[in-house]
Amino acid sequence: MNLREAKFSVIDLETTGLNLLKDEILSIAIVPMKGTKIMAGESYYTFVKPSNYDLKSMKFHGIDPKTLKQAPSFSEISEEVRERIEDSIIVGHAVEIDLNFLKKAFKAQGIELNNKSIDIALLEKWLCDRLGERKCTADLSLDALIRDYNLSMRFRHDALADAFLTAQIFQIQLLKLMKYGLTSVERVLSAIESTKMSRIDFIF
Amino acid sequence: MTSPPKEFMRRIKPFSFLTEDELNLLVDNLDVEAYEKGSTIVKKGKQSKYIFLVFSGVVGLYDDDTLVDTASKGEIFGILSAITGNPFSLSAIAMDDTICYRIKKEAFNKVFEKNPKFSAFFSTFINRRFRSFTNLLKETEGAFQEEIYLTRVKEIVTKDPVVCEPNTSIEEAARIMLEKNVGSIVVVDQGKAVGILTDHDLKRVLISGDKNAKVTEFMNSPVITVNADQPVFEAYLTLINKGINYIVVVDNGRVEGVITSKDILTQFEPSSSLIALYRKIRKANSMDELKSHLAGIRKAVAGLAMKGVHFYELSRMITSVYDSTVVRVIKMVEEDFKKDGITLPDYVWIHVGSSGRKEQIIATDQDNCLIRSADEDEKLMIEFAKKVNEALDYIGIPKCTANYMASNPKWNLSLEDWKANFEKWFTSLTGENIRYLSVFLDMRPIYGDQKLYLALLDHIKSNITNQAIRFLALDATSIEPPIGFFGIKGLEKGLDIKLHGIYPIANGVRVLALDNKILDTTNTRERLERLSEMGVLSDERAREVLESYEFLQELRLKRQSAAVSAGSEGDNVIRLENIDRIDAYVLKEALKIVSSFQNFIRGKYRIESGF
Repeated sequence: MNLREAKFSVIDLETTGLNLLKDEILSIAIVPMKGTKIMAGESYYTFVKPSNYDLKSMKFHGIDPKTLKQAPSFSEISEEVRERIEDSIIVGHAVEIDLNFLKKAFKAQGIELNNKSIDIALLEKWLCDRLGERKCTADLSLDALIRDYNLSMRFRHDALADAFLTAQIFQIQLLKLMKYGLTSVERVLSAIESTKMSRIDFIF
Repeated sequence: MTSPPKEFMRRIKPFSFLTEDELNLLVDNLDVEAYEKGSTIVKKGKQSKYIFLVFSGVVGLYDDDTLVDTASKGEIFGILSAITGNPFSLSAIAMDDTICYRIKKEAFNKVFEKNPKFSAFFSTFINRRFRSFTNLLKETEGAFQEEIYLTRVKEIVTKDPVVCEPNTSIEEAARIMLEKNVGSIVVVDQGKAVGILTDHDLKRVLISGDKNAKVTEFMNSPVITVNADQPVFEAYLTLINKGINYIVVVDNGRVEGVITSKDILTQFEPSSSLIALYRKIRKANSMDELKSHLAGIRKAVAGLAMKGVHFYELSRMITSVYDSTVVRVIKMVEEDFKKDGITLPDYVWIHVGSSGRKEQIIATDQDNCLIRSADEDEKLMIEFAKKVNEALDYIGIPKCTANYMASNPKWNLSLEDWKANFEKWFTSLTGENIRYLSVFLDMRPIYGDQKLYLALLDHIKSNITNQAIRFLALDATSIEPPIGFFGIKGLEKGLDIKLHGIYPIANGVRVLALDNKILDTTNTRERLERLSEMGVLSDERAREVLESYEFLQELRLKRQSAAVSAGSEGDNVIRLENIDRIDAYVLKEALKIVSSFQNFIRGKYRIESGF
C-alpha cells in the first residue's frame, strides 16, 4: 500500500508503571493520520479507571485521582478504541510497550489485536543510518526528537500532547522516506524490521 | 485540555484574541498537512476548503510565474478567499518542505463572525489600516486606566523612605527633607510609623512654632498608611477621602516609603506629566530651571510611547513643549541683550528638518536658522544666535551635528540673501543644493516677525522650477525599502527604518507639496491631507501612506523609548530579534506601500525617462 493512502493511529498511553504483569493503563490518546495528514480535529483522549490499583498512591502522574475515579473502565471504551484503530498501523514512540499494554487489555475483553506498528524511534534510527549520521542512544528519546524536529512546546506534556508531537515527527519522517523513494508501507515496515535486528536497547 | 495545536495558535495573533471555546472549535476542525518542496498547495483560481497557517517551511504565493509574497512560520494565507468565498487569487506553492495547519473554512468563518476583535484584525490587513490595528492591540493588552486597578502600591514607590526618630527636632527634620528633596518625613518609633511631618506642617511651625521643638509636636498622628500589596487605586481613594497629600506605604508594619497623589497621577494619566512639564517650562525663569524640567521630558515621552500613545499625538505634544522651551530661551537671551542696552532688529527664528515638520520625537537635536531684515545686522545677529544655540545645548537640546543652526553664518541671513539662496538652489541642481532644499523647504517660524517668513515663502513659490521638482523626486526615490521575495531583506542584520521608510515618505510627500505650492504646511500628515483634498493623491493612497508613516514612526519611537528606559541612546535600526512577529508583518506591509508610493512618484515625475 502507498504511504499516502495508509491509515495510521498515533498513540500514547499513560500507565501506572512499566510492568506489563501488574501495571495498568490510566489514559489513552489516539491521533489519526491519513498518509501525511494529521487529523488533529479527530483526536481522541480518554482517562481509564484502573481496576485494582490504589488511587491514593499515584500522585506522581499528575493525574487527579478524582478524575480517574470518574473515568470509564477499559471495558466501557474498548469498542470505541477498537473502531478507531481498526485497519490502521499503530505509530508511537517506543510503541512496543504501549502496544503490549493495549493487547493485554483487549485480550481481557476477548479481543485479539493484530495491527502492524511503527516505532518512530526505530524509524529515526533507520533514517539516521541511511543519512550516515548514526545517533547515540540518548538522542532517540521523545524529548530529543521533539527538540531535533523544532517542535518544542513550553507546556507540560500529557498523553494527547505527546501523541500529537509524535504524529508531527512521524509526518516529517514520512516526507523524508518519500524523498528516498520509499513510498510503500511494506518497504517501511521491513526497513524497521531490519533495524530491530541490530537494535540495542535505547529507550531507557 | 491543552493540545499542541492550540498552544501554537494561542501564541499567534490574532488567535490570541480567541476565547477557549473559539479556539476549541478551530482545533476540532484542524488538520496538519505536510507538503514536499515544489508541490502546489492551492492553485490560482481554485477554491480551498481551508485557511492555512504555516507551521514550518516557506510558502510562495504566485501570480502565474511571478512570486508576489511569501508566508513562513506563524503566517496565514487563504483568508480573503475564505471570507469572500472567491477562489484563490494566487497560487500557493511550497518553496521548501512545508507543514501547514489547515482550518476548515466554515469553522474559521464562524469564529470570524462571532469575534469582532478577531475579524477586525484581518480587516486591518486587508484594508491596510494599521492604526486601527495598533488600537486593537492596545485594547487587548490593557489600557492604562486598567493599570491603576492592577498595579500594586509597592510598584510605584521609587525612593527609600525618609524617616526620623520621635525626638528629632523640627530643624533637623527640615534639614533631612531638604537634603533628600522630599516633601514629607515619616516619624518612626521602634520600626513603627507614628506620624508624618509634611511641608505644610513646616509652614505652621514657621508662623507659630519653635524650630527646636520635637517633630512629635507638629507631626500628623496617627499616620494613615496603605499596605504595599494593595492596588494603587485604593491608595488614591484614601488620599482623596481623607483629604491628605501623603500616604505612608507599609509592609508588615515596616515603612516602605511615601506616595503622593501626584506620584499616582503621573503614573496613570498618560499626558499629565508632559502637561505639567509644559506649564513649568512656561513659568521657568532661569536656564537651570529649564534644564531640569526638560530632563524629565525624555522619560515622560518614553513612558507615553510605551503606553501606546500614537506618534501623531505624541509628536504634537513634544513639539509644543520644545517650541515653548525655545521661545523661553530666546526671550531670556533677548533680555540679556536689552540689559546691555542693545536692541535687536527684526528677525524670525525658524525651525527646519523634523522639528520644522513637527515630527521630532525623543532623540531630537537643534535644526534652526534665522531670517533677519537687513544686511548690516549680521555680526550682532550671529552673536545673538550663538548665545541661543549655546543655551539650548546647555539645557539639553544638543547642537545639530550637520551645523544647520542659526549661529552658522550660512544660515543666518537677510531676507534678500535667503531669496537668492533658494533661486540658486532651484536652478543649480547639485547634490548639495538638493539636500539644502530638503532641509529648508520644511521651514516653520517659531518666534519673531512672521512677515519675513511669509515674504520668503512667496518668493519660493514663484521660483520653483520643474527641473528642481524632478530632481527632488529622483532623490526621494533613490533609496528603496529592501523588500524582496523572502520578505524584508537583511532584517536579521538590522534595517534602518528612518533611511528606508520614513525619509522616502517624508521626501516624496514634500515633492508633491512643493509641486502644488503647499509650503506653509510642513507636517507630513497635514501635507497628505491637503494633497488628498486637492485630488493630487487618491484618498486611498493618502491614507495608506499615512498609515505606513505613522506605523514606521511608532516603531522607531518604541525602539528609542526602550533605549531611553534602559538608559542608553536610541537608534533607528530595527532587528528581527527585537520586534515581535506582528510588527515584522506590518513592517513588511508598510514597506510595500513605501515602495508603491515611490513608483507613483517615479511615474508622475517621469524619473525613468532620464534627466
